[in-house]
Amino acid sequence: MNKFMEFLENILLPIADKLNNNRYLSALRDGFMVALPLIIFGSIFVVIANFPFLDRLIGEEAFATYQDALGPASAATLSIMGMFVIVGIGYSLTKHYELEAIYGGVVALAAFLILTPQVLEGVSGVIPTASLGAQGMFLGIFTAFISAELYRFFVQKNWTIKMPAGVPDAVAKSFSALIPITLTLTAFLLVRIIFSYTPFDTVQNFIYTVIQQPLTALGSGLPATIIAVLLIQVFWFFGLHGQIIINSVFDPIWYTLNDENLQAFQAGLELPNVVTKQFIDTFLVGMGGSGMTLAVIILIFMIGRSRQLKELGKLGAPAGVFNVNEPIIFGLPIIMNPLVIIPWLLAPVVITIITYVAMSTGLVPKPAGIIVPWTTPPLLSGFLATGNAWQGAVLQAFNLLVVTLIWWPFLKILDKNYYENEKKGEGN
Amino acid sequence: MKRILLACSAGMSTSLLVSKMKESAEAKGYEVEIWAVAQDKAPSEMEKADVLLIGPQMRFMKKKFAKVADEVGIPLDVIDPVAYGRVDGEAVLNKAFELMGE
Repeated sequence: MNKFMEFLENILLPIADKLNNNRYLSALRDGFMVALPLIIFGSIFVVIANFPFLDRLIGEEAFATYQDALGPASAATLSIMGMFVIVGIGYSLTKHYELEAIYGGVVALAAFLILTPQVLEGVSGVIPTASLGAQGMFLGIFTAFISAELYRFFVQKNWTIKMPAGVPDAVAKSFSALIPITLTLTAFLLVRIIFSYTPFDTVQNFIYTVIQQPLTALGSGLPATIIAVLLIQVFWFFGLHGQIIINSVFDPIWYTLNDENLQAFQAGLELPNVVTKQFIDTFLVGMGGSGMTLAVIILIFMIGRSRQLKELGKLGAPAGVFNVNEPIIFGLPIIMNPLVIIPWLLAPVVITIITYVAMSTGLVPKPAGIIVPWTTPPLLSGFLATGNAWQGAVLQAFNLLVVTLIWWPFLKILDKNYYENEKKGEGN
Repeated sequence: MKRILLACSAGMSTSLLVSKMKESAEAKGYEVEIWAVAQDKAPSEMEKADVLLIGPQMRFMKKKFAKVADEVGIPLDVIDPVAYGRVDGEAVLNKAFELMGE
């Protein structure tokens, strides 16, 4: 068993290392990190704008005025999050190459806007906001990578305008970026012109149809989600932060699906996706941390007899309520512990299926596209994520019960082992 | 004054450890500054620290951090998983001082 574990760890560690330290994936993660405060700001106002029963309390008309007044908060942040992610990616990647990072950020944004449709239903001189959110997400990510690379290439070619001594530094800097930016953006303009002669018309349409739609369709399905969830659990079993590792691959898909739901939610249409960023963050991770270990803490308080587990329960409970569970993962321990591998892998898969079915059948509303910070305690997070629906909280409570039942026999054995060891220790 | 930096995914779970380490340092009469950051902030924070300790769940970042630590000239290591699970402030504090060669 030990040999096998060692063998697996030797495979997983390099994968984690590669995924996490790859400069593109790490720029991508930074990009979402930059956008996160804005996304959460927008989410807060979607929640406030959609308080339950408010329409009945103040009347339809006043409610519409109220919603209109708050609308710009999310329209300027959450709905066009792609834009902020792009700036973050361009900035991060350029910084990685130790160049003027801010230019990397703005050149990525400009390149993306060049490729974006600038006409909506015959009206020109507009940029459809949908292009800056979910629809343009993948185009934005690729554009940011390529524009930052081109910018670096041209800077390193050193085709810059040299300023004589005595010219203020800021002036010299603005000129030093001029040639690389001009060349980079010209390249993107050419791409736009070329695509206008193809059946796809715009590059955004091309990326959306050929890459984004198939990938998000795959990512929104149950099989891909179960695989992602299992991988997260397997990484954690070896003590590696599975969430961070898997997020760097799945975040573009999950956030895109999320934004599609948000747009439908705000337009009052039926929500298209079950699996979204919130499906994972609220209904799987948001139950005490990866692996839904709040159930483990509850069980410790219910049936724990050994001193070791009782101590752990006290230590892990306050953090667990806010979905921080490293004390449980390393303290139980969950890592490399064959006794708990079955509930550790099984429970999240069962919950994924239950949640998926409950939402696809309409029993529980789908996530509304609101990003709830992952440290939000369960029940509250389920309520918020489903667009202020009590069913979201009930589903979380039900899931917690299921996870508790799955863990029960295994935790009992573990507790008995510890208890007997402690008794033996005292006898000596 | 010794400055000890801890890094994990979001700086959340290591901050649990920080408060326990501070308690232990106070009991021993050590003068220390201990703080936790998210992994993306670690490289820039290293300049202000004398030692870097990485949460075991982020041990795959060690290579990347080691490069920066080398430039800044500070030692680093991954926190022992057992000590991490027990939030054993004293053990981790001792480890930090051992790394700094005291």
